[in-house]
Amino acid sequence: MNKISRRAMLAGTAGLMTAPRLSSAQGVKPRLTVISQWSAGSDGAAITALGKKFEEKGGTWQHSPVPGFTTEMMNKLRAQIMAGDPPACSQLKGPEIAAWSKIAATVNLDALVAAAGYEKVVAPDLARLHKPGGKWISLPLQIYSTNMLFLSKRAMDKAKADRIPVTWAEFNALAEKMKAGGVTYPIANGGTRPDDGQKFEAALAGISPAAYRAGIMALDEKALKGPEVKAAFAQVRSIADWMDPNTAAQHYSINLPRFVAGDMGMMIQGGWAQGVLLNAGFKLDDFIIAPGPSDNGKPVFLLNADAFIFWQRKEPDLQAGQTLMAELVMDPVIQTMYSQITGSIPVRTDVDLSGAGWSDGQRRTAAALKEAVAANQAVLSLAHNMAQENGMTAAMIDVFTEYVKNKAITPDQAVARLSNAVEGAR
Amino acid sequence: MREASFTPSRVLIYFVVSLIAAAYLVPLLVVVLNSLRTAEEIAQTSMIGWPKQWAWGNYAIAWGEFCIAQTCAGIRPYMLNSALVSIPATIISTLLGSVAGYAVSLWRFPGDRWIYGVVTLGIFLPQQMRLLPWTIVLRDLNLTNTLTGLVLIHTIQGLSFTTLFCRNYYIAIPQELIRAARIDGAGFYRIFWRIVLPLSPPILIVTVIWQFTHIWNEFLYGVTFTSGQQQPVTAALIALSASVADIPQHGVQSAAVMIAALPTLLVYLFGGRYFVRGLTAGAVK
Amino acid sequence: MPAAARNGQRRLALDQLRRLPEFLIIWVPLLLSAGHLIAFALWTIWVSFTPSTLVPVSGWVGLRNYTAMMATRNWQIAFDNLLLFGCGFVLLSVLTGLGLAILLDQRIRGENVLRSIFLYPLAVSFVVTGTVWSWLLNPGIGIQKLVNGLGWTSFRFDWLIDREMAIWTIVIAAVWQSSGFAMALFLAGLRSVDADLIKAAQIDGAGPVRMYRRVILPALWPITVTVVVIQLQFAITTFDLVRALTGGGPGIATQLPALVVYDFMFQRGLLARGAAAAVLMLLILLAVLLPYAAWRYLQRRQSAHA
Repeated sequence: MNKISRRAMLAGTAGLMTAPRLSSAQGVKPRLTVISQWSAGSDGAAITALGKKFEEKGGTWQHSPVPGFTTEMMNKLRAQIMAGDPPACSQLKGPEIAAWSKIAATVNLDALVAAAGYEKVVAPDLARLHKPGGKWISLPLQIYSTNMLFLSKRAMDKAKADRIPVTWAEFNALAEKMKAGGVTYPIANGGTRPDDGQKFEAALAGISPAAYRAGIMALDEKALKGPEVKAAFAQVRSIADWMDPNTAAQHYSINLPRFVAGDMGMMIQGGWAQGVLLNAGFKLDDFIIAPGPSDNGKPVFLLNADAFIFWQRKEPDLQAGQTLMAELVMDPVIQTMYSQITGSIPVRTDVDLSGAGWSDGQRRTAAALKEAVAANQAVLSLAHNMAQENGMTAAMIDVFTEYVKNKAITPDQAVARLSNAVEGAR
Repeated sequence: MREASFTPSRVLIYFVVSLIAAAYLVPLLVVVLNSLRTAEEIAQTSMIGWPKQWAWGNYAIAWGEFCIAQTCAGIRPYMLNSALVSIPATIISTLLGSVAGYAVSLWRFPGDRWIYGVVTLGIFLPQQMRLLPWTIVLRDLNLTNTLTGLVLIHTIQGLSFTTLFCRNYYIAIPQELIRAARIDGAGFYRIFWRIVLPLSPPILIVTVIWQFTHIWNEFLYGVTFTSGQQQPVTAALIALSASVADIPQHGVQSAAVMIAALPTLLVYLFGGRYFVRGLTAGAVK
Repeated sequence: MPAAARNGQRRLALDQLRRLPEFLIIWVPLLLSAGHLIAFALWTIWVSFTPSTLVPVSGWVGLRNYTAMMATRNWQIAFDNLLLFGCGFVLLSVLTGLGLAILLDQRIRGENVLRSIFLYPLAVSFVVTGTVWSWLLNPGIGIQKLVNGLGWTSFRFDWLIDREMAIWTIVIAAVWQSSGFAMALFLAGLRSVDADLIKAAQIDGAGPVRMYRRVILPALWPITVTVVVIQLQFAITTFDLVRALTGGGPGIATQLPALVVYDFMFQRGLLARGAAAAVLMLLILLAVLLPYAAWRYLQRRQSAHA
């Protein structure tokens, strides 16, 4: 009596049987109930703007942002689903989309996606995540890279450096030059769990995207115990040693003043850090953005993409609302508006970023994505829950965060711990 | 006990107490100062510091203007929600707790010790174990996403503490009083109304203060079982915190924290003396 | 049937009917409270034996969730921390509360103000407490920086980032938050010590220290038990405070069982594992409470026989 398989069957069948209405029933005003965690800041502003567009097209927008972070949002989603009242649309991403689709029925978006030609303009690795079971049930909206390299102009001056490092070796050399030039701490990263995860995934993906794919995305045992993973841990140790020990578990934003002043040199952060820097009152002149280090010279892109999933509802106005929302999310104009507000880049690979409203950092990120996809080096971020489900991700980040905070753990020991953690969480 | 005089030991006592008092006040000072600084200043200097320019406007923004997604009404509507949950739940759980405490300590009935034991063990049950079961209960009672649902949760959960407090207070009341009244023909209510309740104000105040504070400051259930405009103020405070792509609005956040903490701070300020008195009167066992 | 007997029966029935509301108001709240506690505990125990991940589902996996949970470093560290934190916090908070109460009992001026100062932390939410103390205890911006800035440059107070000592930062913040309650209880106790006992001791020539040791502190024993119980409850269920102060870090060094339960149940979407951790927590609790209850039971029987 396994409820999961019964439910999965129901969800699958229901998904197949629901034909989304391409043209909403005449006279039904579209309505949408949405849950997300985006209550404040530029994320909040972006989803509010999306809501306004929804209402401009004649719909009723009912968005309940859940305060807190992703867990609180998922708790709310879970409570609603268990109460039999899922929202028409909710924020979700990564492999969690597949996991959650097994517990409640979703809407089959294949017809809408085909009509919009969306699949052609989405990176294949990304598309895969949103079609568990072969059918589109969710739509990605914006992309961030988690491994952009931020360099402080003043720190570069102190190090008398003028070349942006491309490989990890060049990165390490620059860090040493910065230290010698009087930059107290060459690395300005923070100490939160995602941050520690970012350090590792940037290191491994930069050393060998193939090893990253095999070990982190496919959880292949041999790859996890391989030399690239050990080298990645060694690189992370160097990064940790160049950080301010007082950072503890804090968010990187507390380091920004010193980063801009040249007291700290570099950061491996997601593209969102640009927005944070600007919002804190710093200027674009204060820093340089470049793709994260990659040992084979071609950019490696660690993908983090937000998406909306659509839950099955019987009410015709909600169904009409879902259709309208899906069309909006896939629309290049909407994606442009959204990304310009949040500082991300659009999911669609056919959007032109040369116009006004886009920053250099965004252009560079988009270019990096294009090149990375072409070289098959666009991979899914572990630290931001794109590569694995939350349980597995958390088990692996436990290892990374302990390793970063404890200098006594050697890379060999870390490799063993990582293996054990993955086995324990399977 | 000792006469007040200016001996060296008294000076020492004053010194030590003042030092400790100052230490206790530091966190409050930090938040108050932060509530008067701008977000940029905090971001560019440090979390702890003296305001360079005084951002008095933070309080106005926190009260009525800051935005949670599309609603820009500040913290005001959420304060009302918190009140609508905290006040009824406090009153009901205190009343029920005092009746229950009286029943198990003075009136007595078969099995009272056992059920009292189970009820008070409830104070140890952690929140996380209750979240999903309450989801199911609220769903079955059709109270998901309502303030009534929250009141129900806090009332039933509050019974553990209120019964504990009241019972420990009431057992100090001499049994002879009750026995005499029973012999005189008084029933359950009569005794409660005439004898127990008039003796209760001290412990009722303690219980009310304790319950109000805990319910007002509660976060987990408030976020999970309400949404949007119905959320309590604790949820609104968290909504002010950083999103991935932004810097926390620490100045306005601190102002909001001060405003949200005002009711409980005032309760302790004015109720503090009764708090001690209430715990004195019965020699809580 | 004779009239008198019938009357008697009717009176009995009426009497029972009249006592119904009283019966209800005694039993309904108590049953609701006890009932929901037992039901929730049983539900959690049931879930811990299922393969539940995102939502509860039925199924039986035996002890797999328990063995998996106990094999994680998260649980092992949390368990050790609970013992450390529990004992340290309860002890320190009792001593601090007692100390403050004794100080306040010395009939000093401004007692009302001082009492308010020591009590107000109880009014603050745990999240705020954790956040503010995370700033104060951070060596780069808080107390260490202040003292260094005053000239004492070799002073170090970096427990927050020290894996071994970080748990004590939680103790500090928690003691700040809840020692006011202990103080209030102890003050109440001090003020209700029998005046005759004190006078008798004074007549016997006892000095202040002797007075405290022989007369007052022993009289405080029942109140101490209450304080310990309430602080123990705080230590076991504390969650928001730790999350805001250290987030379970540095690394996972300050994990506590309540955090592990939340983390696994909700953040990781592993409901059954988290439920197993919750049941383990309850078992630890029983291991502490049962001996105490047994001891009290024996005490009562002894005093009944004496």
